[in-house]
Amino acid sequence: MTTDLSDYVSSRVAVLDGVRRMLRDAMKLRIEPESIDPDVPLFGTGLGMDSVDAVELVVQLDAVFGLTLAGSPWVSAKLRTVNTIVDAIMELGDEP
Amino acid sequence: MSLEDEYRSVRHGAALSRMDHVGIVRVSGGDATEAVDAICSGDLWVRDGRMLQTLILGEQGQPVADVYVCPDDDACILMFEGITTEALSACLAQYADPELAIELEDLRPAYELISVNGPYAWEALSKWLTPDVIGLPYLSFYHFDRGTCFRGGKTGEYGYDLAIRSDQVGRAWEALLEHVSALGGGEVSLETLDLCALENGFFSVRHASAEGLTPLELQLQWRVSARKSFPGATAIEERRAKGMARRLTHFVAREGVKTGDPIRDADGPVGQVTAAAFSPGIGGVAGMALLDLSVAHPGIDAFFVPTPNADRPIRTVSSPLLFNRSLLIDPHQHTYATRDQTSDPPLWLGSLP
Repeated sequence: MTTDLSDYVSSRVAVLDGVRRMLRDAMKLRIEPESIDPDVPLFGTGLGMDSVDAVELVVQLDAVFGLTLAGSPWVSAKLRTVNTIVDAIMELGDEP
Repeated sequence: MSLEDEYRSVRHGAALSRMDHVGIVRVSGGDATEAVDAICSGDLWVRDGRMLQTLILGEQGQPVADVYVCPDDDACILMFEGITTEALSACLAQYADPELAIELEDLRPAYELISVNGPYAWEALSKWLTPDVIGLPYLSFYHFDRGTCFRGGKTGEYGYDLAIRSDQVGRAWEALLEHVSALGGGEVSLETLDLCALENGFFSVRHASAEGLTPLELQLQWRVSARKSFPGATAIEERRAKGMARRLTHFVAREGVKTGDPIRDADGPVGQVTAAAFSPGIGGVAGMALLDLSVAHPGIDAFFVPTPNADRPIRTVSSPLLFNRSLLIDPHQHTYATRDQTSDPPLWLGSLP
């Protein structure tokens, strides 16, 4: 594995672990973080969250990761799975 | 219709499909829920009128059936893919307590299953059945005079599965076809539904991707109970204790990648393609691959599929791949006729490698 790829995977895993812990602790999911699959749907099936959870999730993402989604036209695209949240958080680091 | 026309029906209008690959049974009797709970991997914490997506696993922990469990008074309706009704009955006989009072009724051929999928599927259903269908929550069902309407779907768009009495299904099909045609759609094949499921990351038990894999590698842990015993539970615990080596990960490519292809990086093999198909929405190949756990993450451009002519680069991506139209459509505000007034960003927000 190249250094660049290794660095990318390390930073991605760190964000992924952070999102999993936030889901367990702040969203009060009764599930161990490592049992939350990265591509698990957040709403409806999967983690089974609802519209009330969505509001809390947006607040927590802002508070914990500085990810501001309130009012964004793309909020429904970014809050589909754990991985789409991780993508959005990692994009923050790419912003100038 | 061409595959592209069928795809457009599902992604932009409404599509009608026959669901001959899906079985449907009714398990009744005072112990129906307990018996069904004994064979399914998930916790059956679901109210009457709601639906639970779960699995039936083999002894090695591999999924053998993809199941909707639908509690209905003192019974459970099961819709399932991957096994026959006879195999499901044998599974109940093997794993449910023989003392339980249950009766299994195959709802075929008395009923047939058809589905309506698409961002305007609800509009076709509201005209054919009742406008009240708009208020039916995701993963719920209700009975009507000719059958039962289940709100589910595996395309990422609004989806309804209809179990219709066989003596009514001909007329129902004709009427629904007329409605979906007026919504820019038509009859759509299972091949197109499978492509849409692949793009949205839905598990398909009918694809080779399930062979030898457990819900751990398939990212289906949410369908597995941590609190009860079920067929395959021991194998999953053993796999969990040992640590999984691979995980299913989605990818896109420009062309020339197919199911079964090996995936490499500059140092050697890293995985294998488990499903791949050309996606009109992406303009390239959408696929799933089983990758070494250390690199099973989205956002990686370092991998390729070697071919005799050229290496085909792939890019790992997050699931679902598409920004489904149904996310932008509110049945209380929008209609197909006013679709031009709805925001219309691209289905695919990413780029190809």
